Amino acid sequence: MLSGGCMPFSREPPLPRPLEQDRSSADPDADPFEALVHAVAQDRDRNAFAALFRHFAPKILNYCLKLGADRGMAEELVQDVMLAVWLKAGSFDPAQATVGTWVFTIARNRRIDRLRKEMRPAPDPDDPAMTPASLATPEEAAQLVQSSRQLQDAIGSLAANQSEVLRRSYFLEQTHEEIAEDTELPLGTVKTRLRLALGHLKRSMRDKA
Amino acid sequence: MTLPLHHPDDRHLFGYASGQERAGKSLLVATHLAYCPDCRRRVASFEALCGNWFEELPCPDHDGLDGLLDRMDGLLAGSPMPAEVARPRQAAATGERLVPEPLRGWLPEAIDTPTDDGRWQEISKGVWLSGWERTLSGTTIRLLRMASDAPVPAHRHTADELLLVLRGAFSDEYGSYSVGDVAHYVAATDHHARGASEEDCICLFLLDGDLIFLDEDGNSL
Repeated sequence: MLSGGCMPFSREPPLPRPLEQDRSSADPDADPFEALVHAVAQDRDRNAFAALFRHFAPKILNYCLKLGADRGMAEELVQDVMLAVWLKAGSFDPAQATVGTWVFTIARNRRIDRLRKEMRPAPDPDDPAMTPASLATPEEAAQLVQSSRQLQDAIGSLAANQSEVLRRSYFLEQTHEEIAEDTELPLGTVKTRLRLALGHLKRSMRDKA
Repeated sequence: MTLPLHHPDDRHLFGYASGQERAGKSLLVATHLAYCPDCRRRVASFEALCGNWFEELPCPDHDGLDGLLDRMDGLLAGSPMPAEVARPRQAAATGERLVPEPLRGWLPEAIDTPTDDGRWQEISKGVWLSGWERTLSGTTIRLLRMASDAPVPAHRHTADELLLVLRGAFSDEYGSYSVGDVAHYVAATDHHARGASEEDCICLFLLDGDLIFLDEDGNSL
């Protein structure tokens, strides 16, 4: 069973697409891969699939190699992830994420499953016990939109050197020591930058009770 | 409808989005997400940032990928698109007292079993730990249950402690917590939780290190 190919929260109203606010949603050329995913979903288009494969397979391979897979395992994961793209193309929702982010989430889930041999718990959007955003009061709903915008702004205004330590720490899962060695920065500087980066993002959170 | 007011740290939300967070804490984060539309959006934003980093990965020529594409041909032919199965969505009202997924399917038994048949371990009057205990990626997971106004006895923990309220409410010196709220105590902090709802407060309880209950003089029990 392929896990994690579906959009996790696809029943929620669309939000301003993360990091893509300057893109007009009316612009059909905004994400060239959307049309390819659509062609795979609607027409089982092998050429569209091959184009997606040529773009994403090297990224998936590189991602898995950086996270500790050997070459054979990395190739198996490329195949797994791309097969999930083929099977789940119909559930891709461009209002929720770009194709790149969608493929990333599939790759992330598959490598946790295969490489770390762990489950990745996730909410079930069909669960009657899930609190839908539509149940928020008007005040809460306004706050949701505002905090989402504020986080987008905070991410967009992260200093490049802070974004880089976040990337290494969370995306590449490097320890503080590994980051210091790779970037030739003192360990204290790495820790400071990480703390500053998280502090910058935290300021965007809505007020806590 | 009141949405949660106490959320997991960004360290946990970001780690959950990037895949860096391990299974134990991810179980708590994911269950909080089921309660919290705000954090769902936050995680989606962090996923988008990771998606950008994924797109920016350098792609040196990888020999053999074309061969892999050729080999996938048979797989694609043998894998027709699964038909969309529309699952009926029940009214949210019916789910109000239901523990959400992914926790519901993971729990070994109902959360509100009687406290007098030996299934709960009473650690002080009106405070219980579930008889079951599971370890997931190095994190110990149990339930903590507090009767109305019952104080959790003084304790010391050597690493992070996380609580997610599943039923009722509790309070400590930092605030009050109701269903869906997360309390995060770092190692060696002093905190005094106490049941704050008419019904028993039941929480998912995660601990990274050892938990040591203390007597009145602060000595280990």
